[in-house]
Amino acid sequence: MADKSKIGMELPAYTFKVEKDKIIEFAIAISQKGRKEEINPIYYDEEAAKKAGYKGIVAPPTFATSSFFWTGGGLMGAIKILGMDLNRLLDREEEYEYFDNIYAGDVITRKMKVVEMYTKGKGRRTIDVTILETELINQQGELLMKYRSTLMEI
Amino acid sequence: MVVNYNDIEIGNEMPVYTSAPITRTDIVRYAGASGDFNPLHHDQTFIKLIGMKNVIAHGMLIMGIVSEAVTSWIENKYLRKFSARFLSMTEPVDWDDEENTKGRATIIVSGKIVKKFEENGEKRFQCEIIAQNALGSKKLSGFFIATLP
Repeated sequence: MADKSKIGMELPAYTFKVEKDKIIEFAIAISQKGRKEEINPIYYDEEAAKKAGYKGIVAPPTFATSSFFWTGGGLMGAIKILGMDLNRLLDREEEYEYFDNIYAGDVITRKMKVVEMYTKGKGRRTIDVTILETELINQQGELLMKYRSTLMEI
Repeated sequence: MVVNYNDIEIGNEMPVYTSAPITRTDIVRYAGASGDFNPLHHDQTFIKLIGMKNVIAHGMLIMGIVSEAVTSWIENKYLRKFSARFLSMTEPVDWDDEENTKGRATIIVSGKIVKKFEENGEKRFQCEIIAQNALGSKKLSGFFIATLP
């Protein structure tokens, strides 16, 4: 159920270290490969990443969304806080804005808040929409990226 | 292949990227890598309970595949924005009926440059993206904005 009282609510800030092996695991998954030697070396080989112009092993573009599942009881915890119904939940839209890269070894603080909650449609065919905005800040206090996630309960 | 800003023009197409047919193993691997253990993506008994036929891939796995398509052309460090809207669900290939199910599970990513502009002192461009399966069912539409030297 869209609970409009939750608009503006900030989820508890969460700090996590970006583990190199987590980046490798994620890069293997999105490239549908079986082992790291088959993926882009910027995701596992520090030297190769530096040669390609990065400060170190870098995270793939959609890696950050995963942090949603690593905190406060994972998916179920977040759903509970937001008052959502798992049986109806779908991811509708994701929009990332990048200011700098996320590197292996970074300690990232994630700030997430509810920016929108509303119900679409009428009668039995209503859809509840929740929009979350997330900022990721590294150990130097630099804003690395911002993203907006639109979740739907159908 | 190194791409420079002057090499690209409005109307140019990004290289077409074709995924391997998505398997249940790919979905489980993504679940583990991302931490998204929504049972919709792996538990057939949950699927039955909610009246669906098959497990489906994570929308974010499809976006991840699209990010692979993009970054195999334009490197990560040049990306400034990446946006996607999920349009339909993707069922994996059934190994006991591969011929009839691999098309629905194969993602084809294509795109076209629609804009070149300056922003924040950088030369940037916008590329619209579509991901559809091999049967022509649209899975994701979106765009990315990148800079280039």
